[in-house]
Amino acid sequence: MAAVMNAAASAAPPFETIVSDYGPLISRIASSYEADPSLREDLTQQILLAVWQALPTWRAESSLKTFIARVAQNRSISFVTRQVRQGPVAELPERIEADAPNPEEQVMQMNEREMLMEATRRLPLPQRQVIILVLEGFTYPEISEMLEIPANALALRLSRAKAALKSMLERSE
Amino acid sequence: MNDFDLDRLGDVWRQQPDPAELERLRKSAAAVARRARLAQIVDVGAAIAVGTAVIVLVLSNPTGRTFLLGGAALIFLLGSNIRQRRLRQLELKSLTGGTEDMLDQSIERIEATLRHNRLSLILMGPMVLVGAIFMTAANSDVDSAFQAAMHSPALRILAVAALAGVAAYLLYAIRRGRRELGRLRAMREAYRQEREKSAQ
Repeated sequence: MAAVMNAAASAAPPFETIVSDYGPLISRIASSYEADPSLREDLTQQILLAVWQALPTWRAESSLKTFIARVAQNRSISFVTRQVRQGPVAELPERIEADAPNPEEQVMQMNEREMLMEATRRLPLPQRQVIILVLEGFTYPEISEMLEIPANALALRLSRAKAALKSMLERSE
Repeated sequence: MNDFDLDRLGDVWRQQPDPAELERLRKSAAAVARRARLAQIVDVGAAIAVGTAVIVLVLSNPTGRTFLLGGAALIFLLGSNIRQRRLRQLELKSLTGGTEDMLDQSIERIEATLRHNRLSLILMGPMVLVGAIFMTAANSDVDSAFQAAMHSPALRILAVAALAGVAAYLLYAIRRGRRELGRLRAMREAYRQEREKSAQ
């Protein structure tokens, strides 16, 4: 059955090649949704499984990178909803700030990438999705198609996301 | 990080992870693919094995009753496989579709599960009562050894423990489902608010 399903995948490269090419993308998306290393490992495995399962449904009319990013984001979102320990994602900024005992000390130890990752995790979900896709280098039409929102709505959402991210990064300094 | 330039931040974001991390990811992916392939083989193999066993059993005792029972078992097996396949397709569709559609589907799924669990919890009492009535009625038709076994304190304790376990599990599942539903609704609300802001 596995062979039949893999044969049905329209010109999709082998899973191993996909992991080599898009592994870092998957890893970054997992990191932008889950800060805890052990849970992140779990999430990464779930994304890999989701990509493996969804691959036969991929059709070459959309780019494979877009397809993988969409699956990875959707799996990450369903993963965070199942986490009992976390508060609602929309309330994440306040929660993290309140929980962090000594934010200055923590931030000092982070490098720029980690700071960016941490700030992204604090964004409300709709804004986080947009920022992640922009940082991943997707074009605006691709993001618009992926999120199923018109170009003007995307521009507005991105503008709010940028403002929120900027404010968080400035506060982190 | 005063200079807020998304292109520059994009370069920072896309820094290659260290080779050890990539190697870990590759190993993890290989293990995931192996397990998934094995699960598919086991799935198909189990369906074929059960189907073959039913056919062999029916053919070894070909009476009208066994044909009827065997046919019912095969239909049940087929139905359950089709249902599983549909569920998998739905899950795949939600994974590869829009996030808001996925959230809507997840909310519907959790609400249905919560309804089912609540109903199961409510019906537990009446079901126990019905079971007890059936037991009492059936006791007159069976031999005394069976009656003695059914009324043994150990079996009663076991039955009560099993019921308590099921009730505890249902309560836990309801609590967990409520939390998940709350989280999903909060996410859905965040998207609705974003849409409203964009429409203004």
